[in-house]
Amino acid sequence: MSAPTLDIENLKLGFKGYTGYTEVLHGISLSVNPGERVALVGESGSGKSVTARIVLGLLQELRAARIEGRVRFEGQDLDSLNRRERHALRGKAMSMIFQDPTSSLNPVFRIGDQFHDVLRRADPRITRDAALGRAASILAEVSVRDAVRVLNAFPFQLSGGLNQRVMIAMALANEPALLIADEPGTALDVTVQAQTLHLMRKLVEDHHTAVLFISHNLGVVREFADQIYVIYKGRIVEQGPTEAVFDGPRHPYTRALMAAVPRLTGGGIPDIDENSPDFGAPLETHEREGRQ
Amino acid sequence: MIPLARLLAKRLATSLIVLIGVSMLIFAIARIIPGDPARIALGPNATAEQIADLRAELHLDDNIAVQYGYFIADVARGDLGISLYTNRPVTADIALYLPATLELVLVAGLMMVCIGLPLGIWSARWRGRAADNIIRLISLLGVSAPSFVWAVILMLLFAFYLPLFPIAGRISDSYAISPVTGFLLIDTLLKGDIRAFGNAAWHIVLPAFALALSGIGQAARLTRANMVETYEKPYIEMAQSYGFPARRIANHYAFRPSLIPSLTIIGLDFAAMLGNAFLVEAIFAWPGLSRYGVAVILRKDLNAIVGTVLIISATFLLVNIIVDLLIAFLNPRIRYSQRPA
Repeated sequence: MSAPTLDIENLKLGFKGYTGYTEVLHGISLSVNPGERVALVGESGSGKSVTARIVLGLLQELRAARIEGRVRFEGQDLDSLNRRERHALRGKAMSMIFQDPTSSLNPVFRIGDQFHDVLRRADPRITRDAALGRAASILAEVSVRDAVRVLNAFPFQLSGGLNQRVMIAMALANEPALLIADEPGTALDVTVQAQTLHLMRKLVEDHHTAVLFISHNLGVVREFADQIYVIYKGRIVEQGPTEAVFDGPRHPYTRALMAAVPRLTGGGIPDIDENSPDFGAPLETHEREGRQ
Repeated sequence: MIPLARLLAKRLATSLIVLIGVSMLIFAIARIIPGDPARIALGPNATAEQIADLRAELHLDDNIAVQYGYFIADVARGDLGISLYTNRPVTADIALYLPATLELVLVAGLMMVCIGLPLGIWSARWRGRAADNIIRLISLLGVSAPSFVWAVILMLLFAFYLPLFPIAGRISDSYAISPVTGFLLIDTLLKGDIRAFGNAAWHIVLPAFALALSGIGQAARLTRANMVETYEKPYIEMAQSYGFPARRIANHYAFRPSLIPSLTIIGLDFAAMLGNAFLVEAIFAWPGLSRYGVAVILRKDLNAIVGTVLIISATFLLVNIIVDLLIAFLNPRIRYSQRPA
């Protein structure tokens, strides 16, 4: 089997602030194989998004951040790359989809021009016309029919769902090996979110793109992911194939998370401890050896 | 672009209303300030009869509303009356002095945009680093002293102790340039006299820079502040996560959304420079409208006072209209909405 697209080993992250050193990630390990869809699930503040930003190399630029551990991308240790080489990966070999599509697109530039900049990452000499043509064909893949209008528009002139499709098209435009989706579409309403996720799933399957999917929405995760990692307070507490985890959650925190999903049948949200000592139980912290 | 045309029409209409208001106000104020303009114009040896004749000729004994009526009728014909100070039509005086002031203010405005905005962009791009701190210090210095103080300091430093620039005037006496537009930088070029152009440009650097300095500081500080805020926006993080070049992010993705508030301030500063130009003109012996304006106020030269104020107000309004249009052009939400937001 070839090297995993993304392999994170014992990743630690801390910030040096005025009040001293605060560790945020306490040693996370996860891996994403080529074409695999892996979900990282946890509540707000559990460390999901910072993990994504470390993979992209955005947090390394912060002087206050202290990062330990190893992140390998297609077998290559990211620490061994210099700034320029790291920068070259972004937007080409890996790309990201953000929470709120409308505020993630620049408000004063036309979609087409932003698309041009994205495509320029893979082909620095692409002309505007060629870029627009290529953008239109990618947009067609996410079922955008009137691509000319969309490319000519400013983000505020399009609906959230349309902007989300634009984001998905941009993220996949340069055929990245890894797509990081940070709570995609959380800002959209549920039906639109479901639609766009469906499109995204079809596209990553067609292009055989590996996805690291970050979410707190268990319903979405169950639909989308092959593998699931549950993260709590900077630690992976449980991992496994999606169905297995949903059918038989072993860690108390995973069970609490699942109990917190609102149900159509009503009954309200169960009373869950904000901070049960059980959640810190080291049950599944390093289970990676058991996988594969 | 229909919405832009509509915006322009609207701004022009409101500007006209403002101008009429200004004319009424300055017309009344000029007549309220103490002193008899006829007596001042004719001098201490004039007889009571001569004064009464001049007062009658100027309609000074009529009701102020009637006087304003005469004034508006004349203005509609493009006549601002005769200056009692120079004995020439006010329009001719203004045509003589306004270009020098406009030239100074335009060059200063250009400096404000071409120096202030890039400083702000660099400062924001390297926020927290040494370059940022140096730029912030410089711009703080710029805004903390008024332009006439800078005029004196710059003159002492770069024209007196270190004679890099001429100490006063618009152009050396050895060049004879007949006015076409009144803008020396344009007239010398029209004549094809590159040396004279260089000489005029050399003369304008110090006064324009003194006038622009606080504006440069303000533009840099405001641009930096807005851009630092913009750098926190999700669309900048997205641009970074896609690996767009840092320079492109700074100059386009972060700068353009931050430009609009800076532009408003630059417009206001630009208009304020028309007033500040007076002291700078006085220090550098610049033959501009501001010096003329003060001279006519001291002489209580009614027609000239009203004419000068009207022209300065009109320029102020024009600058504001241009800024509004620029903002509308830069902000698609305004450009594409039927009602300006």
